[in-house]
Amino acid sequence: MDIKFTEEQQLIRKSARQFLMDKCPSSLLREMVEGTKGYSDELWRQMAELGWMALIFPEEFGGTGGNFMELILLLEEMGRACLPGPFFSTVVLGGLTILEAGTKQQKQELLPKIAKGELIATLAITESESDYDPSSITVTAKAKGESFIVHGTKLFVPNAHVADYLLCVARTEKGKDPEDGITLFVIDGKAEGIKYTLLNTMAKDKQYEIFFNKVRVPKENVLGELNKGWGLLKKILQKAALAKCAEMVGGGQQVLDMAVSYAKKRVQFGKPIGSFQAIQHHCSNMLVDLDGCRWVTYKGAWMIDEDIPYEKEVSIAKAWCNDAFRRIVALGHQVIGGVGYCEDHDMPLYFRMGRMAEITFGDSDFHREIVAKQLFSAG
Amino acid sequence: MNFNLTSTPEEEKFRQEVSDFLDKELTDEIRRQYAIDKGLGPEGRAFALKLGAKGWLGLGWPKEYGGSDGSIIHDFILVQEFARHEVHIPNEVARFMSGPTILHHGSEEMKREFLPRIARGEIEFGLGYTEPPAGSDLLAMQMVAVEKEDCYLITGQKTFNTESHYADYHWLAAKTDLNAPKHESISLFVVDQRSPGITITPIWTLGGERTNEVFYDDVRVPKNRLVGEKNRGFYYMIEALNYERLMMSQTERLVPILNRIIEYTRQTRRNGKLMTEDPLVRNKLAQMAIEIEVSKCLEYRAFAMLFEGRSPDYESGISKLFISELYQRLAYTGMEILGFFGRLDEDSKWVPLRGEISRLCRMSVVYTIGGGTSEIIRNLTATRGLGLPRN
Repeated sequence: MDIKFTEEQQLIRKSARQFLMDKCPSSLLREMVEGTKGYSDELWRQMAELGWMALIFPEEFGGTGGNFMELILLLEEMGRACLPGPFFSTVVLGGLTILEAGTKQQKQELLPKIAKGELIATLAITESESDYDPSSITVTAKAKGESFIVHGTKLFVPNAHVADYLLCVARTEKGKDPEDGITLFVIDGKAEGIKYTLLNTMAKDKQYEIFFNKVRVPKENVLGELNKGWGLLKKILQKAALAKCAEMVGGGQQVLDMAVSYAKKRVQFGKPIGSFQAIQHHCSNMLVDLDGCRWVTYKGAWMIDEDIPYEKEVSIAKAWCNDAFRRIVALGHQVIGGVGYCEDHDMPLYFRMGRMAEITFGDSDFHREIVAKQLFSAG
Repeated sequence: MNFNLTSTPEEEKFRQEVSDFLDKELTDEIRRQYAIDKGLGPEGRAFALKLGAKGWLGLGWPKEYGGSDGSIIHDFILVQEFARHEVHIPNEVARFMSGPTILHHGSEEMKREFLPRIARGEIEFGLGYTEPPAGSDLLAMQMVAVEKEDCYLITGQKTFNTESHYADYHWLAAKTDLNAPKHESISLFVVDQRSPGITITPIWTLGGERTNEVFYDDVRVPKNRLVGEKNRGFYYMIEALNYERLMMSQTERLVPILNRIIEYTRQTRRNGKLMTEDPLVRNKLAQMAIEIEVSKCLEYRAFAMLFEGRSPDYESGISKLFISELYQRLAYTGMEILGFFGRLDEDSKWVPLRGEISRLCRMSVVYTIGGGTSEIIRNLTATRGLGLPRN
């Protein structure tokens, strides 16, 4: 048993925290969130210089060969800073999927660009009838000569408006099993026939509706095996779910820090409110929830790195983090009171972030059902 | 990073050896005795001696005091395996509370007198801390030990001393200085539980367990039964707390209980369908599996800190807090699943799972009270873990 981080891992965490504290103040955060682009080119460039986009990719594809735990620690700091922008969609959703399933040529062409911060990507899965269910995939891709013709509507695609490439989950065949006949495609974001419409969400996080109007995609842009895309997607979704947990761990830490520092300063009835047991217990409950989030997430990352089957543990982590992060933010609001209800405080940013994080890559009921399937199938 | 219980071949071999031993030696009767009456029957006692003979009750203690090779990781592996096999370590108070403190602070004479017998599985201690006016506020205790020429004379009352009616010795905290600051006024003693002047009366609890009131009326305790230095008792108690908490409650104990509830839903039809097909049942049980995993992570984290030589503080506290509250949630989840049948006494022909869920539901009430109430742990977490001001 060993819960120590390597020196490399500690360094990543420390430098990421410092960088984001210095370069991403609340004012810039708000500017990015309110702007149409959703991020700052300058900040993006600096992140690339620090090697953040290269971290998880092997050296042969322009990366620095970091492990999943290191990515988790980086994402934790991004969550702590409530950093908006296309890092997650590019590296986790785009990059990891390409790394997992791409041909050598696809990897050589796309990954080094991602690693340098020169390429933005995203993944289009969700449709109108379900979030992450194969039977609801109705966007079609029909073979025609040397191409596929992709047609239909995708929803809640993050950062689609700035994406150079869209990874799109489409139905190429109707089989008996809804998981069969699904294929992933790499689609040029500027391809003819694509229409983007912004979906304004609580978190203002640049989610898009994409209408593919008979978009022509070359056959070599199939990602992974034809008709067998769902298995790949399930794997990516689990990794993405754990990556989302890491953001919630960081966000939860920031909310707790804000609550505790406020409770130490704020005086009522002649005393700092943090000396009252009612407030202390709120803060302790936040810490218990947060520590739970933190260590189930790290355990999931360890399992991914060790290649131990991780489906159940990742679902456990996501279900717990969803619920716990909601409680942490609610208690944070309770401690900080009216001040934290105002939009010029940072609390609303984390509240809004939480509402998106808890649904993205599976809400708690979704993941509890994955856990239940494992419980009832074993033994 | 490594979340496995064992991380070397040697540790894994030890775990396997313990597991094999328990598979072979544990009978339903021994399990019953440990669950219901503290392992006091002849089978339970014989089992304790066998463990002693294996060297597993003195792991990491010096050989001269009856100890055997091993370290704290072996203790942890041992308790985890026992938890997985649903049995308690015999003489838990002696092994995990009194023994280590005697080892660290006791006189040479005291070490030689008690440690080998604890390591052989022969003796148990009864915990003697709580008093009617001193529950969470332990420093409010009033039992007084007056130093005389040849002995201490002890008078006062203890309560909720759960082991006293069968323990051989009383691990007693009493005031030895009435003028000093409270935390420098308490000493620890090893008292022969059958000494003249001690009266033990039972208290029966909701969980069916017996605990006791223990009255001292001018009880003579030899001076060499003072543990370590006079007036340092409170520090010894606090110092031992992390290890005790981690050794005496394991999340692993909840796993077989959840598994049996799951098995029950596989075999039970309710409202026209198998319970496993009911989404509400699935959701509830999945939530229990989730919380068990979270609890395990918190427990391993606290232990790993101890193992690395860092002293866990609030970390071991919240591990206990989480496990104890989870016991109650699991018990109520079980009660919801078992419905009317879960309310039956264990001798009913209709009772599922031998009545263990009803028993757990009653017994777990005290888990969030004993060994530091949930509220006290939350207070300490706030002040020590988060640096909030003391009231």
